[in-house]
Amino acid sequence: MLPADCSRRLVAELRDALDACAERQRQLERSLRVSRRLLRTWEPAETPAPQPTPAPETSGEAPSPESTPSSQDLKELELLTQALEKAVRVRKGISKTGERHKALSLKSGSAATSATTASAPSRPSGQASCRVSETKPPRGIQQTVVPARGLPESRLLSVGDHTRMGRGSRATKPGPGPRDQQIPPSAALQAPEAFTLKEKGADVDCWLPQPLWKPCSGLEGGSPQSAASLSTGFPDRILLRLPMAYRKAASRNSRLWAQLSSAQTSDSMDAAATAKTQFLQKMQMTSGGPGSGLSAAAVEAEVGLLRTACLLLRRRMEEVLSADPADCMQEYRCLLTLEGLQAITEQCLHRLQELRAVGGQQLGPWPVGRRPGASLPCGGGTDPLWSPQLLLYSSTQELQTLEALRLRLAMLDQQIHLEKVLMAELLPLVGTQGPHWLALCRAVHSLLCEGGERFLTVLRDEPAD
Amino acid sequence: MGRRRRRVDRGAAVGALPEAIAALSRTLPAGPSPEIFRRAKFDRPEAAPALWQLLFRVLSPLSADGASASPAQEAQVRAVKSELRSQGYPRRALAQLPEDGSQGSRELLLALAWLLARGPLLERLLAQTRVRLGDEIPLCECEALARPGPPVPRVEADGPVDIRHLQWLMGKLRFQWRKLITSQQEQCALLGKIHSYTRGCHSDRSLGHLSVAETELLRDAEGGQQLLRRLESENVCLEAALRWRRQELVFWRWMDTVLGTCPPEASQPTFVPRIPERGAGEWELVARELQALQEELRGAAEPRRAAWEARVGGWGPEWSAVQRASREAVGLELAALQRAWERGGAAAQPHGPCRLVKSDAGASGGPGLRAAQVIEVLRSREACLEAVLCQLQRQCRQELARLAGALPGLIWILPPGR
Repeated sequence: MLPADCSRRLVAELRDALDACAERQRQLERSLRVSRRLLRTWEPAETPAPQPTPAPETSGEAPSPESTPSSQDLKELELLTQALEKAVRVRKGISKTGERHKALSLKSGSAATSATTASAPSRPSGQASCRVSETKPPRGIQQTVVPARGLPESRLLSVGDHTRMGRGSRATKPGPGPRDQQIPPSAALQAPEAFTLKEKGADVDCWLPQPLWKPCSGLEGGSPQSAASLSTGFPDRILLRLPMAYRKAASRNSRLWAQLSSAQTSDSMDAAATAKTQFLQKMQMTSGGPGSGLSAAAVEAEVGLLRTACLLLRRRMEEVLSADPADCMQEYRCLLTLEGLQAITEQCLHRLQELRAVGGQQLGPWPVGRRPGASLPCGGGTDPLWSPQLLLYSSTQELQTLEALRLRLAMLDQQIHLEKVLMAELLPLVGTQGPHWLALCRAVHSLLCEGGERFLTVLRDEPAD
Repeated sequence: MGRRRRRVDRGAAVGALPEAIAALSRTLPAGPSPEIFRRAKFDRPEAAPALWQLLFRVLSPLSADGASASPAQEAQVRAVKSELRSQGYPRRALAQLPEDGSQGSRELLLALAWLLARGPLLERLLAQTRVRLGDEIPLCECEALARPGPPVPRVEADGPVDIRHLQWLMGKLRFQWRKLITSQQEQCALLGKIHSYTRGCHSDRSLGHLSVAETELLRDAEGGQQLLRRLESENVCLEAALRWRRQELVFWRWMDTVLGTCPPEASQPTFVPRIPERGAGEWELVARELQALQEELRGAAEPRRAAWEARVGGWGPEWSAVQRASREAVGLELAALQRAWERGGAAAQPHGPCRLVKSDAGASGGPGLRAAQVIEVLRSREACLEAVLCQLQRQCRQELARLAGALPGLIWILPPGR
């Protein structure tokens, strides 16, 4: 058994570490819930009862059709897909004007390539698509036939317009397309359909019929909705568009942040800065508090810097010691470096002593719940970027590697901290021999030297009589 | 003529102050009205509670949800006092204010001005509560560490525990990390899917696809309205902050007058040491590390110096020029090294949260960091940390071997290596 105060401290440290981990897990679970929900089929806000089987949960990849689509439908769909690909290729060549067209053709180009790759598995995707649309069997045929007649385009109208179409409705009619595309009202849904995010190119099905046919006034650039929609190089997939109000607010937000972070230097700022320093000085002079000027927070910060310094110095020392000097010059430089490092270390120690004299009683173990990292802390004092910069990744594996590394760093941080704390508390106990010393020794060895994962064995070496 | 102009100027100045204060309090969380500020100048007691609450909101780190119930008045007062003291607030009058929060509005006003003058308080507060529109990933952990999580009510084990309990806790911790990593991998896969499915949907070309928040906005109209409202209120705060920036000079002039109305405090020559709330800790650890480092350096440098002197003893004067050049070069290197930690090394590492954007590998030259580079940086940091951990474990092993060697008649069989 460990002494009481030691136990208390150690248990508190380990519980802190567990809490920190649990907090991360909680946040991660929250994000996971949101992401999973987004990849399932989006149920409309009010799901009226008469609807038969709700759209099955799926990420949209594994086809498991509840009702087998007819082979006729599948064939039609395949033909349609091929026709679309060809049309897109043709149109890509034609439409080169305009930034919007260029943008769309880029999309359609990529959609075309993904369509070509998807044409091979078009059968399963066709099945999947039919499955989604066949949640309403009587209309299923309708839905697969209508695309065959025309071009399922689309742009969903922004959600901001949903007030006009009824709450929760997400369906909009594809704008372009021949005017005779209008769905016969009998086939129109009275309630909004479910929607699934899908991969591009495979979603001729992600086309939502809607009760009202709206000419897409919300389209970017407001291009004319002519029957020759092909001329604009449409993308053959759903494009979700963010509501206008949101876009405006978001752009205003980023503009304001940029203004705020750039407003650091200007004439009025300088005048204000001098006024501030004058105020601080006056305050210091008229007050009766400690005049040393070093607060506990500042002392802690400096001690943190010295810890960083120790790390960096040690790293440089190991570099020098592991390098093999090739000639005299390099040997001399190694020697000088080592001596220089020694001098700096002494300076740091000196500074540490000074800090102790100034505010020694204010330092202590990390307050519960807050732990400075053992790895290099970033200088928060320098100009931080208030709005986030972009981090571009190219594949899921890359993102996973990145995140795994981040977590590993946090874990190592925690392990190093725990190691230091355990060393400080447990090694003195091993030094004093008490009852059950062997068991204690073995346990301490495993905790400190193997991270608690492996144990050593102790054999009593009895001399053979 | 001149008098009228002066009056007009003063009139303009008089109007500018309430405007400036209004802009300030619009930016702050729980900002009181300019009237409260005016009353505080004259130390009116009715202004005190609002200012206590304001300081509490400003100084206490935000919980993750931001919706924790504010504690009782006394607890707020105590928290504000201790935080100000730890940050080095010079005036002692604040510490002497009663804990029921009924007095001291002028002192609180001075404290607020002190906080504002010292650093970018407003920007920092706004950045903490910023509406996150993209999928963000923090590149350095400093923000996560600076903000403690919500305190977890815990049943303290007061008695002595067996070391096996510690082993069990360590095992639990290891297992939790493993679970965390697998959950994280799943989240990355889902993010990747969402990003690629929504490619082309964002109006901002540099982003190219929607983030989870934006897709959620489309899926759930009500949640979207909430997000929009938060965004708009943040815009209002940001505009107020910009207004404040333009007008803050008036405020500082006024604060000078407020300070003038305070009687100066009697300076105390003796330094009253704070009652230590916590024992020795971090200082000891750093001191020990530095001392160990110093020992190692001495052990490495001295023999080399001796060997060198023995070799070089008889070399000629042309050597001294070369020596001088080497000394200068090494001096520069070490100075750069010293700058690295004195400045905090912020420029060397990417700092702060980044918005994740999935783009094709060929996209180069645009703004933003590349994941590949960041991975390199993180890997080198990982190697560094692993080296530190290995070194600590080696130290422990040596120490334990030394202690165990004192007892003869035992054979220690180490576990098989990795």
